[in-house]
Amino acid sequence: MNVLVFGYGYMGKLRYEVLRRHPDVDEIRIVDPFADAKALGLEGVLLPPDAEIPWSEVDAAFVCTPNDVTASLCVEALRRCRHVFCEKPPGRDWADFSRITEAAAAVPDHTLVFGFNHRFHPAIRAAKAMLGDGGLGDVLFVKGTYGKSGGTRYRESWRNQREISGGGILLDQGIHALDLFDFFLGPLSLTNALLADSFWGCGVEDNAFVLLRSASGVPAFLHSSATLWKHTFRIEIGARDGYLLATGLLSQTGSYGREQLVIGRRQFEDEATALGNPREEIIYFDRDDSWTLEVNEFLSAIKEKRPATHGTLAEAGRVMALIRDAYARDESRGARQDG
Amino acid sequence: MQSIQSSLTMPLASVKPLEPLLGYRAYCLDATRATLASGAVPRKRSPVADAALEAAGDVEGLAYARCPETGSLFLASVAPAPAWATLLRDVTRYRQAPDAVHQVIARSRSEHVYAPKLEWIEGTLRLQGVERPRVLEVVTPPSGFTAFLERSTRIAAVETVDEMTLLGAAPGGDTLADAAVLLETLDRVNDPAAVLRAVARRLVPGGLVFVTALVASGFDVTVLGLRSLYLYPPDRTNCFSLEGLERLLAAAGFALDELSTPGVLDVEIVDAHLRHDPRVPLSPFERRLVTAGRETRVAFQTFLQEHGMSSFARVVGKRTR
Repeated sequence: MNVLVFGYGYMGKLRYEVLRRHPDVDEIRIVDPFADAKALGLEGVLLPPDAEIPWSEVDAAFVCTPNDVTASLCVEALRRCRHVFCEKPPGRDWADFSRITEAAAAVPDHTLVFGFNHRFHPAIRAAKAMLGDGGLGDVLFVKGTYGKSGGTRYRESWRNQREISGGGILLDQGIHALDLFDFFLGPLSLTNALLADSFWGCGVEDNAFVLLRSASGVPAFLHSSATLWKHTFRIEIGARDGYLLATGLLSQTGSYGREQLVIGRRQFEDEATALGNPREEIIYFDRDDSWTLEVNEFLSAIKEKRPATHGTLAEAGRVMALIRDAYARDESRGARQDG
Repeated sequence: MQSIQSSLTMPLASVKPLEPLLGYRAYCLDATRATLASGAVPRKRSPVADAALEAAGDVEGLAYARCPETGSLFLASVAPAPAWATLLRDVTRYRQAPDAVHQVIARSRSEHVYAPKLEWIEGTLRLQGVERPRVLEVVTPPSGFTAFLERSTRIAAVETVDEMTLLGAAPGGDTLADAAVLLETLDRVNDPAAVLRAVARRLVPGGLVFVTALVASGFDVTVLGLRSLYLYPPDRTNCFSLEGLERLLAAAGFALDELSTPGVLDVEIVDAHLRHDPRVPLSPFERRLVTAGRETRVAFQTFLQEHGMSSFARVVGKRTR
């Protein structure tokens, strides 16, 4: 299989490293006009800036670019090459996403997957396995906090410039948590949203508080933030027979803390030594296979000529609709206050 | 790989009370001496590393040796398999006697030892997506755990095999199992590497092995060494370090999915030894720690769990070859 990677930033590098190790990948070419092949040791891999894109020789394309070119490249790749893996978010906004949807509808036998690797994180997979019959039972609620500290170059990042990114922290990072809510609860609808540009003043939200409800009425709440100062990932799931708390993320820097899952089983006073203090187990994880598993699933779906199971167009559409609705809800509130 | 920490609590007296177990310990030591007197095979090489064993001291005249690479402790001599099997059956019979302390505490052991172990196995099967497995229980029968496994609705069938006769079984002659349970089996057999290889042969590719063991790298064994009254043959013929256990599984063709030390009794065990014999040599820090208030002891025990330093080890391996 020959693969083309568009963009050699943080995500492009990550995808390239996973693809290099994949047994079904024969050749990888990278397109990034801002990258220096010699400095990066990518001679023969990185296409020269003026080179024609070799669409006819490629089986799959990875779109790892800033948000403002994602939709155009994704549409082009869907048309010119059979299989596309596109980083989140799937465009800057609903209009971008709609263009991708339209292009995908024209080639229904092509594989299109979006990068939502958090579903493959070990704590999340373990949490999913613990729920349901024979485990902790049905979910009663989900709460999530996902946030970062920003940093001195936060304002300069394209991620926080609306014309390039399309939105702030909710679209950039909160989208992963919304995808996880969908993973645990199925399709959700927006109940309320409050967005704020509290500290950074970039003109996009640096805090988002989003209240949601599943189709069966299970509530969910997300706080997505760029002003937490301490990198935080925390998903709390209340279930009929216990609770789960996933915290920390295995990442390259380890800045989100040790990835772990607390499993607590409901115990009332007839079973526990103290009411409200049940026995807990904590699973610590030390290997993040999420990037590999996600790419493997995409390539396996292609090889086996079957639909992908994660990061589908439908799933991406559902989280983009929630973000669209959250922005609209916040704007209409602002308009009411202005009026 | 993952590790697991637990907030399960239980008093030492409910699962392995020190003073009442001393009679059983004396019986085990006598039985081992008698077995070795009729034919001892010295162990020169470490079962877990390519290294010669070094003298480590003795437990009431029975010499132990240390693996220099991993810190694992091994009884310096064992007997050939038939004699060792007889020894294990003998001490198992002793435990089954109506007046044995094991029978007195049987109910609390069921609650505090067997029930959590079954929960661990069931939870792991769920996490691994293993549905209705055929489980091989490797033990010198009878085992109090068999009934627990048989009652589990997650397990399709349980086959209990004698840990010592497993070595002589023809490979591939039996139905392959999806999982094997070795609760402290590797601690007491005369050739743990061979037993584990035999278990691997009885598992389907990708089959799971559940192992529990007392480990020499844990707090109470590290502090007490061979003075630990819980360290005696044949039950602790082998006292692996966590690294030793890891190497043993890897050598038998298992990839580790879990390597945990969720023990809850390390501090209490040292404290019990101190109460049993106030002269037990402890450093001022160790003495202060084990006599500290409950909050400090619980916090320290939690630290031991989280950092792989408790003496109760739990391992899940997946057969890779």
